[in-house]
Amino acid sequence: MTIIQAPALAANAGATTGSEFRRGIAACMPVLLGIVPYGLVLGAQAARKGLSGLEVPLMTGLNFAGGSEFAAIQLWSSPPHILLIVAVTLLVNSRHLLMGAALAPYLRHLSKRKAFASLFFMCDESWAMSLADSKERAATGTSLPAFSLPYYMGASLAVYVAWVAFTTAGALLGPVMGDIDALGFDMAFPAVFLVLMRGMWTTAAAARPWLVSLVVAAVTHFVLPGAWFIAAGAASGLAAAYYLAGDA
Amino acid sequence: MIDPLNLVAILLMAAVTYFTRVGGYVLLRNRTLSARATAVMEAAPGCVLISVIAPAFVSDRPADLLGLAVTVLCATRLSMLPTVLLGIASTGAARYLLG
Repeated sequence: MTIIQAPALAANAGATTGSEFRRGIAACMPVLLGIVPYGLVLGAQAARKGLSGLEVPLMTGLNFAGGSEFAAIQLWSSPPHILLIVAVTLLVNSRHLLMGAALAPYLRHLSKRKAFASLFFMCDESWAMSLADSKERAATGTSLPAFSLPYYMGASLAVYVAWVAFTTAGALLGPVMGDIDALGFDMAFPAVFLVLMRGMWTTAAAARPWLVSLVVAAVTHFVLPGAWFIAAGAASGLAAAYYLAGDA
Repeated sequence: MIDPLNLVAILLMAAVTYFTRVGGYVLLRNRTLSARATAVMEAAPGCVLISVIAPAFVSDRPADLLGLAVTVLCATRLSMLPTVLLGIASTGAARYLLG
């Protein structure tokens, strides 16, 4: 382990903001393989629902949360049911509350202003990658903060730019685009998430709450329409973790 | 080009989403967690990620389940990029062959 970690530590000591930013962008490249087709599909669906080539980037740039945008687009009508759309957005994105809470201990060295600004760009991918990176850096015993803000911003902005650009492209090109779903690009997200989870893996016992989440989310997905499965899966996994921690 | 009601819906979506992004940070920024709460927060990232992709595990298309099986296998032994590429390729191939 020490042999593997030594270069990382040396790299940390010589790291500049620019090199950390580029490291974040580079780490994010595999994720973009999933973001690009996903963005094109969302843009095309939004155009079919009557959203314009200006409204699509307005939504994806200001809201910047793909899952909630897919859910909202399915519900969109003219005029839109605003309360329903906002409630579904809140439900799908409630996981962010948990994500921000998990990240909070690593953000103590940031000013409130910087934290509030950078959290605007927190997405599943940049959050999970930064959390994994912070844990790795903390394990090297570096004197630098475990959380690298430029790494996080590099990863977040790469996703942001790709998301806004390709959802807009999807809205404009939608009518001439074929069915790209057949090509299998949607498997990029499970692939990214599973690799990230392997990085978080410690022991089988510690992973029991994940199994609870998987089962409850899968069952909820069958039983309830819409996006309840995310909140139900996450909440039940946390309840399991709380219960199991009492055993120890 | 921008419908006023669509604009209102988009702005309200953006507002609630930003609230979810900063909410957890605001609540826990200056707290020291108990051992039990720490255990819960340790499990949280995996619980969120697996919940988001749970529908893939119960797809009714055999091709998707085959692609997922390959992806899971890759994820346990390969790094990010090869896992993503093999996951996409195997899912695309399975859908082509099995429909």
